Parts: sequence; structure tokens; C-alpha cells
Amino acid sequence: MCREGALHTAILRHVTDALNPLPDSPALPSHPVFTARGLSKVYHTGELDVVALNGVDIEFNSGELVVLLGPSGSGKSTLLNILGGLDVPSSGQLSYRGWDLTNVDEHTLTLFRRNCVGFVFQFYNLIPSLTARENVALITSIARDPMTPEEALDMVNLGNRMDHFPSQLSGGEQQRVAIARAIAKRPEVLLCDEPTGALDITTGITVLEAVERINRELGTLTVIITHNASMAQMADRVLNLSDGQVVKSRRNETRLPVRQLDW
Amino acid sequence: MLILPLDRKLLRDLSHMKGQMVAVSLVMACGLAMMIMTRSLILTLEGTRDAYYERNRMADVFDSLKRAPMSMAERVAAIPGVAAVEARVVVDVTLDLPAVPEPATGHIVSLPEDRPQVLNQLFLRSGRLPRVDQRREAVVSEAFANANKLQAGDSIVAVLNGRRDTLFITGIGLSPEFVFEARAGETLPDNKRFGVFWMNYRAVATAYNLDGAFNDLCLDISPGAEAAPVIAEMDRLLANYGNIGGYTRRDHASAQRLNDELNVLRALSVAYPIVFLSVAAFMVNAVLARLIRLQREQIAQMKALGFSSWQVGLHYLKFGLVIVVIGTLIGALGGRFMGGSLVHMYTMFFRFPSLVFHMDYSAMGLALLVSAVAASLGVASVVWQAVKLPPAEAMRPEPPTDYKPSVLERMGLAKHFTPTFRMAMRNIERRPWQSLFTIAGLSLATGLMVLPGAMSDSIDYLLTYQWNMAQRQDVVAFLTEPGSGSGFHDLQHLPGVISAEPVRSVQARLRNGPHSRRLSVTGMPPGANLNRLLDGNGRQMDLPEGGIVMSAKLAEVLGAKLGDEVVVEVLEGERPTRTAVIRGLIEDFAGIAAYMDLATLRRFMREGETINGAYMTIDAKYWDAFMRKVKDTPRAAIVLVKKDQLAAFRKTTGESIGIIRTLYFVLAVIVAFGVVYNSARIALSERSRDLATLRVVGFSQKEVASVLLGELGMLVLAALPMGLLFGRGITTFIITSLSTETVRMPLVVSLFTYTTAVIVVLTAAACSFWVVGRMLDKLDLVGVLKARE
Repeated sequence: MCREGALHTAILRHVTDALNPLPDSPALPSHPVFTARGLSKVYHTGELDVVALNGVDIEFNSGELVVLLGPSGSGKSTLLNILGGLDVPSSGQLSYRGWDLTNVDEHTLTLFRRNCVGFVFQFYNLIPSLTARENVALITSIARDPMTPEEALDMVNLGNRMDHFPSQLSGGEQQRVAIARAIAKRPEVLLCDEPTGALDITTGITVLEAVERINRELGTLTVIITHNASMAQMADRVLNLSDGQVVKSRRNETRLPVRQLDW
Repeated sequence: MLILPLDRKLLRDLSHMKGQMVAVSLVMACGLAMMIMTRSLILTLEGTRDAYYERNRMADVFDSLKRAPMSMAERVAAIPGVAAVEARVVVDVTLDLPAVPEPATGHIVSLPEDRPQVLNQLFLRSGRLPRVDQRREAVVSEAFANANKLQAGDSIVAVLNGRRDTLFITGIGLSPEFVFEARAGETLPDNKRFGVFWMNYRAVATAYNLDGAFNDLCLDISPGAEAAPVIAEMDRLLANYGNIGGYTRRDHASAQRLNDELNVLRALSVAYPIVFLSVAAFMVNAVLARLIRLQREQIAQMKALGFSSWQVGLHYLKFGLVIVVIGTLIGALGGRFMGGSLVHMYTMFFRFPSLVFHMDYSAMGLALLVSAVAASLGVASVVWQAVKLPPAEAMRPEPPTDYKPSVLERMGLAKHFTPTFRMAMRNIERRPWQSLFTIAGLSLATGLMVLPGAMSDSIDYLLTYQWNMAQRQDVVAFLTEPGSGSGFHDLQHLPGVISAEPVRSVQARLRNGPHSRRLSVTGMPPGANLNRLLDGNGRQMDLPEGGIVMSAKLAEVLGAKLGDEVVVEVLEGERPTRTAVIRGLIEDFAGIAAYMDLATLRRFMREGETINGAYMTIDAKYWDAFMRKVKDTPRAAIVLVKKDQLAAFRKTTGESIGIIRTLYFVLAVIVAFGVVYNSARIALSERSRDLATLRVVGFSQKEVASVLLGELGMLVLAALPMGLLFGRGITTFIITSLSTETVRMPLVVSLFTYTTAVIVVLTAAACSFWVVGRMLDKLDLVGVLKARE
């Protein structure tokens, strides 16, 4: 369990063996969820080096809903993957609640993903051979303090479709199962990479409502990547990325409910 | 060289899937290697035999008799249909070899002095033929000479008709009638104690009072003439000369043994490729099906660009054909190598002037054809699915795979299953054929491991059964000529004899309707306990008074069953012909035999207390004294020592089983590894998205691997019992094919054999798991998940 207050327990139980506190900042719940300093990522493809992130300094706080905007290749996904422990930076520092995430082994990253982060991708990536309930149960079987699959599916309004296989669900329903699966572990962080990219507007709205509800009710730090600039209005904070750098950061005075977004 | 762009794509795609290519090609190569090996061995043995028979003029008809004047040979030669006649003297003598405590047997065949041999011509390996004026010179058979380290210039002591004589070896030779060089009716050669000697006619004939006469006859039948009428006429002519009765080459001991071996090879040359190629065909199917699913959009592109369905189909067919070509090449090399090694094994059993492995290139062509057909069958359905797809539809992603709860869950057992176990169950159920063939492939591997172990088990059982339960004597001594009761008395009073039981054996032809066989009918006293007759359940059988007891195989050959009456035509003495009821069937494993109560047989023969020899147990303390005495007893012609037979049996079969065992071990490991690797590789490719998802949501590498491998593990576990059953089945098949009139084997499979098979297959599977597990570790999580399905 990685909600504020319980974080210590979670970290101590699962990650402390491997995560080292930064020398000048003792791990405290009052720390931002993520602190990045000079975060860079270079991909070596053949003879060419592609700089995906170029010295990003940024913080993400608990309970925030952040939207990342930017053209293709601006570094949004790279940033998200590094935050979620799917990738490691080439240089710079990233800490999670004051714990260093840059120099940890694969096992620690696995535990980090297992207990602290939920992912939602553009393609739903459900296991086709498992029903909606079982897809969620997959996580609840390994997480420390999960909600029940039924609770999680209720949160995304799928309580009545729990025993359907992915092939029997619409795209929007599948994406909501993916969200339920991501949040069933009560993660501290929910990372969504173009969650509505493969959906039509109406379906997209139901999916975003589910994301927003989770952010609001569970206080989960939620970071959403999108190409759709109008989604920026539902966020607390909007970051624009270009050429691997955060070029603009603005805070919304008020968050617009999803239904009121101007599509 | 210009390579078409589509072929360039083929080559690059192939290089990306080389692991699987190699796995499938190897499984295919195993079947083809077995096919090429067996067919090449058939070609080699048959070709060598035919050339040898032709060049050295192997006779078509054989006969032996008591004594007939040479003039009778001329009358036989005049029978229409006879092209050539070789009349000779053939006798068995006791040899006294300094290095061998037991007496050995020399089978002496006379050589004409005034002309070269017409039939069964001697092939002189080294030295020279005996000089006409030399009585004591002999050419010795190669196998015997090698076993006893004899060469031209050496001498050897033999007892010719009661007189010890020193024979001088002038040369080493071979003959087409002794390709399989063993005492009549023996399953395996004992070259140390049995050898063939060729001596001048007069030297042998004089010693046995056969001067101007012969006791053995070989005929060459004119092309186009039938052997049967010739034999009938010859038997009529020689009826008064103690004729045993003519028989054709088919019934000739050495020729028959060689034929039996060829028949076994023929059975194997069909059975193996069928099994291996079926598995390989499926593997090709699975690999190609996966490839075509992955290349759905590429296929649409190709068709959109204007390639015809035929061109696209051919492109994917070529993947299968490349596998076939690689498989055939490896198979040919493997077959050649294995054949070359096994030919060496045959030289232990069969003696030819030279036995050089000949590759059957037509088998290679056939292998290519057969495997191409198998692969095409494997590929056809998936290629067809690919080409019939309209381009527009193919451009769209494949619809999500449809799943349903597995049978076990529908039975209400779902609550006991973890999600990952459910995934495994449902995946297996959704692709039943794929699962079934994976199981079939692994069963094949397991079965292949069972087979050589079972053969070894059978031989162990045979040795225990035949040598300890049935044959409880230490030695069997035969007299040169059937003798009276005093002969038995003499044998009984040799030093160290603990017990002795008399044996009377007569040459006879057993007939049932159109079926007949020539063999010795053995008479034994009631309650005989040294050579025990055992039924199929290993129970001792008493010889009933009247009636006959025979090998179950003999009854099968004669088409007779228990209680049937067969005709017994005795071929010696007064040649009585009677009928006898089959009163019992015995389970024996070498040759075919028939037994009668001693008194009944003697009544049958209208004779007194005649015997041919005795079964004896010897006090070990007196062993050497006993053997010395036997060597000095002129009347004792053949002494079979049980422990020597056992040692010879163990040596020859042990060595060949060892070779076969290694061969099958390699095949089993290749198939087990190949099948598991291929299935795991396909599963990894098909399920990479699921597996990446599991990794992203927080499953550890180990946990994800256990999902993938758990499913395959279930298939492996399902395959093991089936494989053991299959192994038993294939063992039964092989042992049935091996069940000839000369050799048979009991069907025995020990727990050790089953366990070894399971362990080997599990180990091979674990190795493939390890290899695929390493690939799983390198899975690009993000790449996979962000790709469109």
C-alpha cells in the first residue's frame, strides 16, 4: 500500500532493502512523490544517439492530476516510463518520496511497480484468456493491500460485466478494466499513456471519468499523456514537453469536470 | 546472383527465426536420418549379399544325407532344371584349442581336388588352398581365425572320426554359405568355439570312410526353373541314402538369418520416418501459423502491391521448403554417419569379403520428397488462410482472441485455480491441436528413450529366463553319431558329472497342411530337469506321453494350435511318418524347437535306447578334468558350454545395444529439446503482450516465466505417461518385428527404464525452458505493450 501515511510501511516492507535515501533528504511522506533532477535518457540506435530526455527537473505531488502534452518524440512516454520503473535514466536523479530510484536493481523496480504504480496504455493489454474479474484478480493476488476485484471494477462502473472475457467487451469497457486493474493495488501513482487514443469521444469520456474519479477519491497522483490539448482543462497542472525538455508548465485555477471539456 | 526482393525477405525472416528453424529441421532430420540410415543399410547388406552370392556362386538348394556314391551326384545333376552340382563331405569335429579349455567345434567342408569349386566358392582372404597331396592342410574361416588369433602357418589339433590329428592352416577364407557363421540353430555366433574348415576331399572322405561318396549336396537351379520339382526328384533319388531332404536358400540357416535382419530393417525404415515426420510437419505448421499471423499486414501489403495469391502462398511455402532442405541435408549426414557406425556392428554378426557402407542416394531423394510433402501438408492450411484474406481485411488488426472457461472450470472447480493456472488451462484448450502435437512430440521423445532400455531389459530377462530357468545344465555334449545306451553311460561317467539326462534328437519335417518346417525333434526323459520346458507363464511343462510339445513360434509358423495334429516326417533311420498331437506350447526365444517324450520318440523311431548326447551339470572342482577328458573322447563331437554361450551373447548384443542406446538417446534429446523449445518460442511470441503486461503490473521475472513455462510444464507432464505408453507400444512393435524364427525377444520394460526416460525428457525440457526463459528476460516491455495488437 502506497498511500500517504502508509507509505513508510510499504517502502520499509518492500523496497527499503534496495532503495537508498538520498544523503541530504531523509525519506518522509511530506516529500513530493517524484523529484527529478537533470533527468536524461539517450537511446543508442545503431550509429545514432537519440536524446529522448534532456535534463528534466520536475516534481510531482501527491493527489495531483497532471497532463503531459507535446508532439511525438518530445519525450512524454520516456518520462512516464522512467517514473513508472519501466525504464532507467541515462543520467540525472529521480527519487520517489525521497528514495533514490536511479540506482536500483530489477527486483526493486518490480516491487516498486507491484506496490506503488498503476499503468494504463493506449492498447488495453488485457490478458485475453482471463475474464475482467480475473484480469484484476491477477494484481490483487500479488499486491500487499489491494481492494477486491469487485470494488475495483465497481469504481469504473463495470460491476455488471465482471465475468466477461476481453473479446466480449467493447474498447471502452476493456480500457476501464485496464484502469480497474491498475488501481486495484491502491497505487500511489497512476500513469496513463494516451488512455483514450484508441477510443471514440463518448467512450473516451467514460474512461476519463473513471480516471478522474480515482484521482479524486483515492488521492492518487495521476499523470496522463495525451495529444488532445482539450484534456488539459481537467488537470491540476499541465506540462508541455518538446525535444526532451519541459518547455512550459502551467497550473489550472479550477479543474473542469470531464463532461464539460470542450472536445 | 540476383535475389528477388521477396526471397530477400524470406532469408531475413528466416535469420530472425533461426532457433526455431534449427529445432524443426533437427526433428525432421532425426526421422530422415533413421530413414536414410535404415535404407542405406538395407542397400548395403542386400547389395553386398547379392554380389557375394553371385560372384561366389551361392547354391540354390541344399541337402545332406548319410552316404551316397558319387555316381548319384551325377544322376542328381541330370535332373532337369539343375545347372550345377557340388557333392561334398561335411562333418563336425572336435577341436582342441590350447587357449580354450572347452572343446570347440570345427565344421569341415571338403574341397574338390581335381577342379575348382563350382558352388559356394571359397573366398580366400590370405594364404593358399590346401595342396592336393596334403592331407592335413586346411583353410580356416576368418571369424574363427580372428577370434583365436590364428593365421596361415599355425596348426590346430582336431579329432577326426576318433583320431587326433594336427591340421596346418594354409589360408584364411570366407564362404557365402557361412555369412552368419554359427552352429545350426544358434542365435548368435560364438566365433571362438565354432569355425569352418575347408580341406581336401580325400583327407576328409578317407577319415570318415566316405571315399568315393558324399554326404552333402548343393545345387544350382537353372534360370527360370523351379526348385520344388528338382528337390522332389532329388529326394526321391536319394531316398535310400539317408537323405534328410533338400531345402532352398530361404531355409538355409545363414541366408535366413540375414533375411530376418533385412526384414527388421525394412519395418524400421517405414515406421520411424512416419512418426518423426508427423511431429516435424506439425512443428512446421505451428511455426508458419505464427509467422503468418505476425505478418498479416505484410501479406495485405503484398497483395495490395499486386502480388498474386499464388506468389504469396509460394513465398510462405518456401519457409517450409527451406526447413525441409536443411532437414534433409542434416538427415543425410546423420544417416550416413549412423549407418557407417552400425555397419561396423553388422560385421560382428555377418561375414562378407568386404562390407562397405553404401549410401542410398535414392533414399535421400525420397526423404526430400516425403519431408516436403509432410511440410507442405503442415503449411498448406495456414498458407491458404493467408492468401484467401482480402487485403483490406488483412490490414485490420486480428479480432481479439476468443476465450471461454476451461472444461475443469465448467465442472465447477474454478475456485481452486489461480489466475495464472486458468490462463494456462484456457490457452491449452483454445489450441487443442497445438497442445496435442506438443504432447505427441514429447511422447515420441519419451518413447524413444524407453525403447533401447526396454531392449536391454528384454535381453537381461532373456538371459535370466533362458539360461537360469529353462537351461539349468552346465554343458550339452553331443555324440558324433547316435549311439546306444552305453554312450550315455560313458558321458555320465566323465569326471565331475553331477547329473546327466540323455537326449535323442532326430531330423524331421513337421507338416501342417501347406506349412512345413525342417528341424530336430528332441526326445527327453520324463521329469527332465536340466533342459526345462517353460510355458508362457514361466511354469515348467511335463512332456506328455505321446504327442509333441513345440515352440509357440513354430506352431504359429505351421498355422497350428494346441490340440491340433501335425505330421512328423522323420528324415533319418527308417524315415517313419506319423502324426502327433500338439500337447503343449513353450515360450522360447531362439530358433524353433519341438520336443517329445524320449520313450515316445524311440517308439516312433522303432529303436532301442539310442541317444545323441546328454545335458549335464558339472562339479566346478572337476571342470578342467572334465573338459580335458571330453577333448580326448573321440565320440563327443559338440560340447556347448552354457557360460560361454552366455558370454558370447552378452558381448555381441551388449555392444550392439550400446550403439543403439547412444543413438536413441541423441534422437530423444533432440526431439524433446526441439519440441519444447519450439512450443515455448511460439508461446513466448504469441503471449509476449500478456507477459509484458504481467511484468508491468509488478510480476517478477520468475513469476512471469512460471506463467509461460507452467503451461508448457503441464503439457510435458501430460506427455510423460503417454510417452511411456508409446514407448511400450513402439517396443512391442519392434519386438514383434524382431520376432523371427531365428531370434525372438520377450517384452519386458523395467521401472528403471521408465524412470530414465522421464528424467532425460524432463532434463531436455528444462534446458529449453532455460533458453526461452533467458529470452523472456530480454523482453522489451514498453515496445510490446505500445505496439498495436
